[in-house]
Amino acid sequence: MADEVMELTPEMKAAIGKSGDPTTYEVTTLGIRTFARAVGYKDPIYFDDEEAKKQGHPALAAPPGYFGMPVYNPFRQNTARRPEFDSPFKRNLNGGTAVEPLARVYAGDILEAVTTLANLEILPSRAYGQMLVRTSETVYTRKSDGAVVAKTRGTGLSY
Amino acid sequence: MALKASDLKVGDTHSEEICHELSRTQIVMYAGTSGDYNPLHSDDMFTKNAGYPGVFAHGMLTMGMTGRMLTNYVGDGRLTKYGVRFVSQVWPGDTLTAEATVKEVREEDGQQVVDLDIVTKNQDGTPVLTGSATARVD
Repeated sequence: MADEVMELTPEMKAAIGKSGDPTTYEVTTLGIRTFARAVGYKDPIYFDDEEAKKQGHPALAAPPGYFGMPVYNPFRQNTARRPEFDSPFKRNLNGGTAVEPLARVYAGDILEAVTTLANLEILPSRAYGQMLVRTSETVYTRKSDGAVVAKTRGTGLSY
Repeated sequence: MALKASDLKVGDTHSEEICHELSRTQIVMYAGTSGDYNPLHSDDMFTKNAGYPGVFAHGMLTMGMTGRMLTNYVGDGRLTKYGVRFVSQVWPGDTLTAEATVKEVREEDGQQVVDLDIVTKNQDGTPVLTGSATARVD
């Protein structure tokens, strides 16, 4: 827990409005099925390719809020999904998320996500003392046709 | 099946039990499928050293399960906005019930939509997630 820093540093202020490196997400049949199973969906359009097609989908449909898995590359170093900065607030919690779905996502889609740091604030909290509240906006674009499939807004809490 | 605007009125509610005695296995399954490997959700020793009594669920797992309730209510592919705040932690063993309440039925860009208030509570009645959603209706 950070007790001393009360204000945003110049580095933090400079990061506001900046975007991180694009991140590639793969939406696979395996990913859709495992996500749908973890969240408890029973709808066959998330599990059964033939049933999805019978219902008019071109492939397995992604459940709401699922945008695939980020492609992991162990040889790609120093790549930040979000703008980074030094901070005494080392522990992170998810404070909330808002999703605006704009187009349906299907198995086989490859998405590119770009996250922009919309705002930073240091605020008091009852549980953790001061917290760094980070608001990020992410735009997911489908690579095959350039369609923006979703926009999300997330609130990260660091303490 | 999609909802009909003519069947909805302000104050209508829909609720579902979205998980019964949440298992650590389900939390680990979510970590695997989401790629969120924060040890707060899987490593009891790490979590206790961080000042918590034990591992807890990803907020996004609760959001996903609450989204399932919404999809069951409004129909597949109908959500146009869905936003939540995680207001309390969800622990292994928790049983969660999610409820959507009709706030307004209106027209947007020539389409009927319903605005919903959302709350998900644990077995003690404590809210763990609050939020709102908008969905297209017939």
